[in-house]
Amino acid sequence: MLKYNIVNEENGVQVTLHGDLDIEGTEIIKEELLPNLLNSKEVNVSFEKVPFVDSSGMGLLITLVNSLKENNSKVTISNVKEEVFEIFELLQLPEILGEEVFV
Amino acid sequence: MQMQSIISQGKNIEEAIHLGLELLEVNKRDVDIEIIQQAKKGFAGLGRKQAIVKLSLGGNPSGAEPTAPEHGNTPSMDEFIDTFLESESPKAADMAEIEQNEANDTVEMEMDELAGKAWVKDSQIHVKDSPNKYATVKIGEGIQLMKNNELVTEKSTIVSERDHLMLNIKPLETQYTVWDVRVEKDKLSAILEVKPGFKVERRVRDIEPDEHIELSVEETKEVTNTLKYDQVVRMLENLRVIYGINHNEIIRAIDTTEPGTFEIATGKKAEPGKNGWIDLKVETDPMNGLIEDESGNVDFRETNVIPSVEKGTIIATLHDPIPGRPGITVTNEPLPAKQTHPLKVVAKNGIIEVDAKLVATESGRPSIEQRGQLVKAMILPKLVHQGNVDLASGNIRFNGDVEIIGEVEENMLVEAGGDVFIHKATSEATITTSKSIVVKGNVISSELSAGKNNMLVVELGHLLGIMHVQVEKMITVIKQLTTSPAFKSNDFSVTGLQPLIRILLEKKFYNFLPYVKQYQEVVEKGREYIEGEEWHQVGVSIKQIFIVLSNQVTTMERLTNLSQKMKELSDTSDIPVEPNSYITVSDTINSSLYCSGDINIIGKGCINTKVHAGGKLHVRGIVRGGEVYGRLGATIHEVGTNSGTKTIVAVPKDQKIQLAKAFEGTVLKIGKISYKLQEERKHITARLNDNDQIIFE
Repeated sequence: MLKYNIVNEENGVQVTLHGDLDIEGTEIIKEELLPNLLNSKEVNVSFEKVPFVDSSGMGLLITLVNSLKENNSKVTISNVKEEVFEIFELLQLPEILGEEVFV
Repeated sequence: MQMQSIISQGKNIEEAIHLGLELLEVNKRDVDIEIIQQAKKGFAGLGRKQAIVKLSLGGNPSGAEPTAPEHGNTPSMDEFIDTFLESESPKAADMAEIEQNEANDTVEMEMDELAGKAWVKDSQIHVKDSPNKYATVKIGEGIQLMKNNELVTEKSTIVSERDHLMLNIKPLETQYTVWDVRVEKDKLSAILEVKPGFKVERRVRDIEPDEHIELSVEETKEVTNTLKYDQVVRMLENLRVIYGINHNEIIRAIDTTEPGTFEIATGKKAEPGKNGWIDLKVETDPMNGLIEDESGNVDFRETNVIPSVEKGTIIATLHDPIPGRPGITVTNEPLPAKQTHPLKVVAKNGIIEVDAKLVATESGRPSIEQRGQLVKAMILPKLVHQGNVDLASGNIRFNGDVEIIGEVEENMLVEAGGDVFIHKATSEATITTSKSIVVKGNVISSELSAGKNNMLVVELGHLLGIMHVQVEKMITVIKQLTTSPAFKSNDFSVTGLQPLIRILLEKKFYNFLPYVKQYQEVVEKGREYIEGEEWHQVGVSIKQIFIVLSNQVTTMERLTNLSQKMKELSDTSDIPVEPNSYITVSDTINSSLYCSGDINIIGKGCINTKVHAGGKLHVRGIVRGGEVYGRLGATIHEVGTNSGTKTIVAVPKDQKIQLAKAFEGTVLKIGKISYKLQEERKHITARLNDNDQIIFE
């Protein structure tokens, strides 16, 4: 089951996801995390603790990043594991979300 | 430049110099020689001294050289003395030999004969020195010569009886029989590969004493193929090969002394069958348009020769497909033959299918149209309209052949299911049919369209072809994803492939949706012309999976089914329809002609007209202004204008444009490449070369 923690830092919000980003995380992302982040101007999401993803999970990620962007927040994603990033690349997520999102 | 010099020793000065020159690989005149020590005869090896010389490269007079040995460049004297002492022990033997010689004159004689020679006996090399020359040895393949415990790496060398000589060879080599059986991928054969074992024994060939000898190996090879029949049989059992075993080949394989492959079991290939087919019993092809006679004139009356049948006539017999015969693999599994397909017959309007026969129930012109396995058969009734088509007669809509004796006037419409034949002109009229059009008069500001259904099928098939390739790629990506270590696919059972497809369409296949939309539009627009439900059904499936993203779970199976259906339809559209439509007119002005087959303009020509021929375009007169296109090539007598009105002749990239005369400014378009003529040209044939440039033959 997906968990997350939020740390408010000087220049923005640091979010760390724990667990698989999959269909079970739908509610958590859409109804908890996203509303929580809407007030932040800068958000970094760390994928360090995300070992697996599924197609719904990637859909959620796209929704999250795009919603925050519409909200004029600056979003970055960091520490993506190599195997997970392979999947992102296969689906051209960097092109969809913008290359600058992945740091 | 640093002087290269060596110190050499020998029994006497001569020998020392000779050895030194050998080592340096130079001639005597290339070196300066300095005698360091004269040879001295001792007694019984004691007090005997070798001659020592110093050889320096460079050709300077020896006087210019310091007499003392240069310790930096040359081995020191001490080292030399050491080597000298080391080689002392064999010398003792020499001395003993000499003593023996003194004792026996006959041996002395023999020894003299042997002097300066080397020989090989019982794999041992022997040498007898001579005061004035050395025996040389050439070392053959597979032999190592050890001289004073060091391997001689040169191809040949000199030997002396003072050298400690040893010959090394690989005396024995054995290899066991190696074999394996593999079943080929198609399982239609089992191959036994065998390399028989062998034993090789080697010795150095004996050589008679000679001044120059060449060492060579004598070998005896004994082949022993240890492969046994029952080993092979057991292997075949393990591989479950039970069909078509070739016992003769197995026996050949166990007897062979050469490495080889043997097909020890052979399956049976599936024999292909034959698709269902139709045998026509009556003439159904009308004369294809207007035909030129020998003098190049066209007899319009000939076009009236249209076949017709009486009620009850058998038009054709239908044959069931002949199934292929299945084959058998060597593992005794059946190999299905390629599936054969029956005819799909659509009999309507005056034709019925009885006992695998097509029978006319009405009199008239039989029309049999075939595309792949699809056969459409009907009797086309014929409407003959006396006089003009005008406001008085009204538009003509008739599902059969239409013959109009007069003109088709302004804003009037003729729509037919069969051939349209107009004796006079058409102006500002619209003529549409799924078959062919012939107009004897001028076509003025009119729209002629023949074989529209065929063109739509080609267009849709083309779109499906493109989409099919993309869907196949999507399937590959999805399969690749599911095997990625960090990918979880358990949400597929809940959501299906939709979330994934949505992401794929976002970027990776971003140009897929425009094709989907185009397809839907063409299907919608051509609804009344397109025959066959499949085109529509595929459109619905595509829409459900890629546009609506409906609640229905999209499985991999559904996606592959769709992809397969797309391929089938796209393939059918590639099969030309028989017979195809055609348009033949005399002259045309300010009109548009659209035909799935050939277009012939046989009068003076075509002015400011848009012409699209799905087959060949042939204009016997002129083309002035407008754009003409021939999918299977264009042949035009004269094209372009003096005034420079834009005239374009176009063909696809693999076709040619043939022009007898072309004015300056005419644009030739082949594939996507355009070329504007800079001057008037005569008798040109244009095509693309391998570098996508337009060239003239």
